[in-house]
Amino acid sequence: MHSDLFHQRFEARYTDGRTAGSRDVMVELTERGILIPQDGSAAPLIWPFGALATAEPLTDHAIDALVTYSYQPGATLFVPGPRFARALATLAPQLTASAERWRAASPWLWGAAATVAIGVFVWLAGLSPAHTIANMLPDKARTAMGRQVVKSMTDGRAVCRDDAGLKALEKLTGRLVAATHDGKAFNVVVIDWGLVNAFATPGENVVLTSGLLDAANGPDEVAGVLAHEMGHGLELHPETGLVRAMGLAAATELLMGGSGTLSNLGIVLLQLSYSRDAEGEADDHAIAILRDARISSKGFARFFERMSKTDGSAKRLGKGGLGGMLSSHPDTDERLAKVLRSGGYAATPALSEREWAALKSICRTSLPSAKAGHSE
Amino acid sequence: MQTSATGPAVHHPPRGERLDLTWLKPIGMIGLSVSNFIYRILTLGIYDFWARTEVRKRLWSAIRLNGEPLAYTGTGKELFLGFLIVFGVVLLPILIVSVAAILIFGPNSLTANLIQAAIYIAVFMLVGVAIYRAQRYRLLRTNWRGIRGNLQGSSTPYAMTYFLTLFLIPLTLGWIVPWRATKLQSMITNNVRFGSMPFAFRGNSGLLYGPYAVLWFGILVLFIVASAISGMVIGSIQGDLGPGLEPPDDVKQLYGLTILGVFALAYLFYLFMSAWYRARTINHFAQCTHFDSASFNGTATGIGLLWIDITNLAILIAGSLVVVALLSAIAALIFMIVPALVPATAMSPAEIQAYAAAMAAPVLVFIGALSFTLLLPVTQARSMGYLIDHLALEGSVDVNKIAQSTADPMATGEGLAQAFDIDAF
Repeated sequence: MHSDLFHQRFEARYTDGRTAGSRDVMVELTERGILIPQDGSAAPLIWPFGALATAEPLTDHAIDALVTYSYQPGATLFVPGPRFARALATLAPQLTASAERWRAASPWLWGAAATVAIGVFVWLAGLSPAHTIANMLPDKARTAMGRQVVKSMTDGRAVCRDDAGLKALEKLTGRLVAATHDGKAFNVVVIDWGLVNAFATPGENVVLTSGLLDAANGPDEVAGVLAHEMGHGLELHPETGLVRAMGLAAATELLMGGSGTLSNLGIVLLQLSYSRDAEGEADDHAIAILRDARISSKGFARFFERMSKTDGSAKRLGKGGLGGMLSSHPDTDERLAKVLRSGGYAATPALSEREWAALKSICRTSLPSAKAGHSE
Repeated sequence: MQTSATGPAVHHPPRGERLDLTWLKPIGMIGLSVSNFIYRILTLGIYDFWARTEVRKRLWSAIRLNGEPLAYTGTGKELFLGFLIVFGVVLLPILIVSVAAILIFGPNSLTANLIQAAIYIAVFMLVGVAIYRAQRYRLLRTNWRGIRGNLQGSSTPYAMTYFLTLFLIPLTLGWIVPWRATKLQSMITNNVRFGSMPFAFRGNSGLLYGPYAVLWFGILVLFIVASAISGMVIGSIQGDLGPGLEPPDDVKQLYGLTILGVFALAYLFYLFMSAWYRARTINHFAQCTHFDSASFNGTATGIGLLWIDITNLAILIAGSLVVVALLSAIAALIFMIVPALVPATAMSPAEIQAYAAAMAAPVLVFIGALSFTLLLPVTQARSMGYLIDHLALEGSVDVNKIAQSTADPMATGEGLAQAFDIDAF
């Protein structure tokens, strides 16, 4: 095949690997491999091309070659000059740099391609690994997560707990929960915070701000917002968002080192905004809950409309929670229409006049934030 | 440089022979850099271990003793397995424990903070272990004429010395640094073997204290002078204006720039002084390192090291700029082509472009972040070349006396060192 390469002779230096001493030899390329003469009458060594290795992969720039043989560990053959290296690259092509790189990289290239393909599939099929993990979380863990989140969200703010107000809130919550047909007990907390907002947090918790109660014109509007946030809770959206954020934070921590990214879950949730689909799902729940609770959905629609159209409301609403629900989606009108269409059933006010007044002044009495996670 | 095998075969060499240490500048490092970069991107980063290995093979081969190359026999697979082991045994447990501590005890609680502190201390204790084990791995994978290097002994004394003296640096206002560096260097050197023959570290830190005093007081003087000049600049404007008056904006800007310039100059001086001290340390350690009847002689200079550092930085930036320019061109191309490919009925062109941008952004960020490492192999070759060019082995070595090492070659690579990013080459 490469007959022109055979029977060339090269000056080389051979070591047997027992000591660091070396000796000069004339080696020859043959069909069977590299032929290395031995001292005196000893038979020459033959190193077949298939079992060779070189200290560095052979390239076109090679000016010499340091060859080893896998069946004679420690022994080395150093052949100066580019001629031998070129000939060896032809006779033992597995030793070239491009061959070695391809051998090392090809399994990973396939792995990377498969990873990308799986990623694209998951994305196209609308699968959400974070949602799957959130679904697998035990209730205990979700409750602990929820307590943590509520705690960090209410950090430095008072929790409202006027007796009459709490009673009204309990009644409203109970009426909505009974309409979920899910058996999950929601815990709703009002915090003294001027921002107009509401958050669903893990473990069936909802946080309402006093600013939202102030901005609402009647109990039906609050009922609508609560039902919407319960919808997020039923779909485990807060858990999913946190799992995703924690996954990212964990990945970031692994890559960048350092820690502390995970220490403020509440802040993370404040920054989360749900996707268009998630908001749609929460709306659907809200519509169903309101209908089964015999509360008019008009209040929800009115509040929704007012908040999305009031100048500067996006700023007052903040980034996450309701703010996200209103600011990040171009199809607000479409969603509003859906809520309005859902009406047409007999309904009673969510709360009586007196109860509504009590709920609005729930922040007359408040507790320091530390016990927020345990308040009913 | 190149010792070709001429002359009669030497069967009984003299008792000792002079070993000529030279650097044979490796060719094709830019090509290797580009190839490694592309493979790293296409394998989502995993190829890094193999890329690193090929760079080492080239660098080791460029180091010649009597014209014969050193050989690096490590593999990418070993580095990868080392990383996996460290990931599973060290990094993952640390992450799980710290996350669990936060979830159980709450953020910023005393218990969680104590656990975090304990983790930090454990990590600092592991740094010494990592350095020692990384050195051992590299020596075990370094051959010359088929004879392996080795680093004997346990890493524990080294790690403890490293850890305990670390806390003494601020307590002694830095004056322990020369002693500490010498102690740590001698702990390694005295355990290095080439085959059966040991290296020895003979010397102490005394000779380093002169240069260190120059560095220490130099930094102090530099800081005082720079502050004084800045003070004078501010004083002179305020003096001209009279008390309580604000100078005009352009004057403020000019003086701001002057102060910035003064501190930049001071920083440059600092870089030079620290490079000078580093050169003195390298040369001192070389002189203390003995092997058979030979010892090393270092001739590195501060200006030489500083030049290598600054030009290396420029090379890395240039490489990054090339990648970023290429990326921008590709991004522009995607922007222009994509709307033409998708049927107009499905989405508006603006929506499609936004979509394409959202899809391409993470890829471009990933490559952009890697771009700084494009020409890393070139800079590594320059750094190592400078060191070898300024290092000589003086005296003689009886190579026939050096027998193969009987040490057990470590199976996996230096993952721990890599995890803490204390990896020079």
